Amino acid sequence: MRNLFLAAASLAVVVASPGAAQQQTGRPAGNFRLTDMDGKVVRLSDYKGKMVVLEWSNPGCPFVQKHYASGNMQATQAKARAAGAAWLTINSGAPGKQGYMTGPEAKAWVAKEKAVPTDYLLDPAGRVGRGYGAKTTPHVYVIAPDGRLVYQGGIDDKPTADAADIAGAKNYVLAAIGEVKAGKPVKVAETRPYGCSVKYAG
Amino acid sequence: MLALLYALMTLIVAEGGAAAQGTRHLTYRLVPETARPAPGGSVEIALVATPEAGWHGYWKNGGDAGVETTLAWTLPGGVTAGPLRYPVPGRLIVAGLMNYVYEKPFVQFVSLTLPKGIAPGTTLPISVKADYLVCTTEICVPETQTLAIELVAGDGAIDPATRARFDQWRQALPKPLGSPATYQIEGSAFRLGVPFPTDAALGEAYFFPLASGAIDYAAPQSVARAGDRLVIATKKASVGTAPATLEGVLAVGEGRGFALTATPGVVPAASGGSGAAAAGWSTALIAFAGALIGGVLLNIMPCVFPILSLKALSLARSGESEAAARRDALAYTAGVVLVCVGLGAGLLALRAGGATVGWAFQLQDPRVILVLLLLVVAIALNLAGLFELPTPRFAGESGAMGAFGTGALAAFVATPCTGPFMGAALGAALVLPTAAAMLIFAGLGLGIALPFLLLGFVPALRRLLPRPGAWMNTFRHILSVPMWLTALALGWVLGRQAGVDGLVIGLAAALLAGLGLWWTGALQAKGRSRAWAPGLVALVVALGAGVLVKAAPASAAQATAAVPGAEPFSEARLAALRAEGRPVFAYFTADWCLTCKVNEKAAIETATTADAFGKGKVAVLVGDWTDGDPALGRFIERHNRAGVPLYLWYKPGATDARVLPQVLTPGMLAALPTE
Repeated sequence: MRNLFLAAASLAVVVASPGAAQQQTGRPAGNFRLTDMDGKVVRLSDYKGKMVVLEWSNPGCPFVQKHYASGNMQATQAKARAAGAAWLTINSGAPGKQGYMTGPEAKAWVAKEKAVPTDYLLDPAGRVGRGYGAKTTPHVYVIAPDGRLVYQGGIDDKPTADAADIAGAKNYVLAAIGEVKAGKPVKVAETRPYGCSVKYAG
Repeated sequence: MLALLYALMTLIVAEGGAAAQGTRHLTYRLVPETARPAPGGSVEIALVATPEAGWHGYWKNGGDAGVETTLAWTLPGGVTAGPLRYPVPGRLIVAGLMNYVYEKPFVQFVSLTLPKGIAPGTTLPISVKADYLVCTTEICVPETQTLAIELVAGDGAIDPATRARFDQWRQALPKPLGSPATYQIEGSAFRLGVPFPTDAALGEAYFFPLASGAIDYAAPQSVARAGDRLVIATKKASVGTAPATLEGVLAVGEGRGFALTATPGVVPAASGGSGAAAAGWSTALIAFAGALIGGVLLNIMPCVFPILSLKALSLARSGESEAAARRDALAYTAGVVLVCVGLGAGLLALRAGGATVGWAFQLQDPRVILVLLLLVVAIALNLAGLFELPTPRFAGESGAMGAFGTGALAAFVATPCTGPFMGAALGAALVLPTAAAMLIFAGLGLGIALPFLLLGFVPALRRLLPRPGAWMNTFRHILSVPMWLTALALGWVLGRQAGVDGLVIGLAAALLAGLGLWWTGALQAKGRSRAWAPGLVALVVALGAGVLVKAAPASAAQATAAVPGAEPFSEARLAALRAEGRPVFAYFTADWCLTCKVNEKAAIETATTADAFGKGKVAVLVGDWTDGDPALGRFIERHNRAGVPLYLWYKPGATDARVLPQVLTPGMLAALPTE
């Protein structure tokens, strides 16, 4: 009961601040509640005690395609889950905008791309995306097992749409996960995300 | 056969590649400023970009999303390419996310430098692969385009038509501001202070930072001018940290802009801003006390004392009831405070509107001075006993309306006297939040009204006033003297502002008003009806003279200090003067360059410099780069400066100019002709 209250309160915080990135690195990440590709309600608090990666995605965005067509995103997802992290892919595209998907469409896309996220969440109203200040696709957040946000920014340090750049890129997400697992502070905790803008409603 | 088929296939593939060019949403074209660049020199390459309608390309910092353009050059040995230079971008907000973009065709520049050893006639194949992002409000497409041109090492001559076209394109590049800016992050507020002369033209200003972590891109920016400073306030970025040296572009409207560098420092919030902290209120209370005391002191100033004295004596004379005395005191106070607050509100409104005004701003207009002069002369004549005011009118009359009018008059007439006394308190008012600032203006009014307020409410004080008697008439006549002194001071101000012509018009108007009122007084003495006709007609005509008074174009002080014989700069004129064997001092300035203006006031336009230059027969050439004249720009660049200020000294016989420091002193300039 108390947890439910807390969750509702956190949700209220996230919802009350649309358009403003209120998620401060090093502070507890705001809870949220979204519907996944199977129509199931998922809360961030469901993964309490676990490391969580949030990945903003838009299947129509060339920067997202760069990482899926090359297999880089799937490999990163697999490595993160092998390290014990839950991976939540979030689509904040509004209906009618590029990359918007219904649950079944998302399911088909995940199968086609052979993506391995823990879950794929739909945020057509953009509430969670705005609450987290998600600007681009991809835009990645890493939450430590204690609930603190430890990384937010780009997936790597090569802000291009060219898949050939992946080989030499430094993957910030895997670096952060490795550091959290080793009990070390995350060295690069904030970077500039790159990609297409999130196709929010309005 | 197979080889032929293969060749055919590659041709088709190549064709396909070419066809893909047709479906590009943004196409680049490479245009060299000259196809025959000189060995050892450099050549400007324009990358002319044309986005399809509805599509946009990105600035170096794309804002919340977007990616900068990357170029991979393939160049002949020894040829090097400089960084990609971007024109001033525009803004595009899509679903709450800010994009720094180009929605219209735009031109970027790269400078290629050639090594010295290339033999003339050598062909130089230049090729570049451009990777860039082009988007609509809905979708984004990363595109790649490979462009090639061929240059031939030659004499570097530039065709005038090409140069003109390049000059037009270059107008869109940000000009270096020349003065360092400062930024401050306080809580979630970001403020940027940019040195920018108070009278430089400014359109819709916006700061585009090159680095992320400084500002919240999508947050609105407020722009205020505080004297020679522009204060841009917005929200700090919620993620990331601002770099120690923040570079960016200050757009000033119509596609123009300035490149600037800002370092951390203190940037006070501009007036009217809500950024002032709670600490501002304690400052406000101190300033309120200062304003109150100042207001009390103002009562003995020549502008106010006569009016107050008359009012006070009228109380004593009439021996009015307690209630009437209180009513008068309150009405008088209301009149004073309302006028003070009204003038203060006007001042703050003007400042918020971007005008640079100080207290007594209304006195900057010579027409207002003329009106005040006429008013003061009329009051002085009235005090001197030349004519009487009809009842029920204000000064000297009883009744709540009369008291209110007297108060308003006292406050309005008091403003010329406030400047030197009230400068500190009123200066504080201008940087405080609006409500606190209004409190200070109210304090000033309350201070002016305080003595009369006390008289009204404390009967004991009223009893201290001398008994009424015949002496009061004499006293009234004597009180006209400080009023005449005020008129004299106003005449001086009018002369400073409008020159001798304006002063004479003002004195003639005062004379006319005086004659009219004299006539009225004479009629009054005979007890005639319509005694006011001549006085009113004369006053109206005198006020009409105000239309004739214009601010003199340059004040006398400036005229004497300006450099004698300064001419507009041109390279031809420079060459001619040098051929004559004359020493030449050339300086390059712009209305928006604060360092330039400071140097001009402090060093160039001084008597010391004028003397030394006059004795040394130094020719002075002035280049005005306010509009970014490209010919001047090239001349400035040849002296290794990206912009103004630039100060050059040509000694007779010397082959090259000496570039003087960016901060000048009169001594440094005066020493030039004799060294």
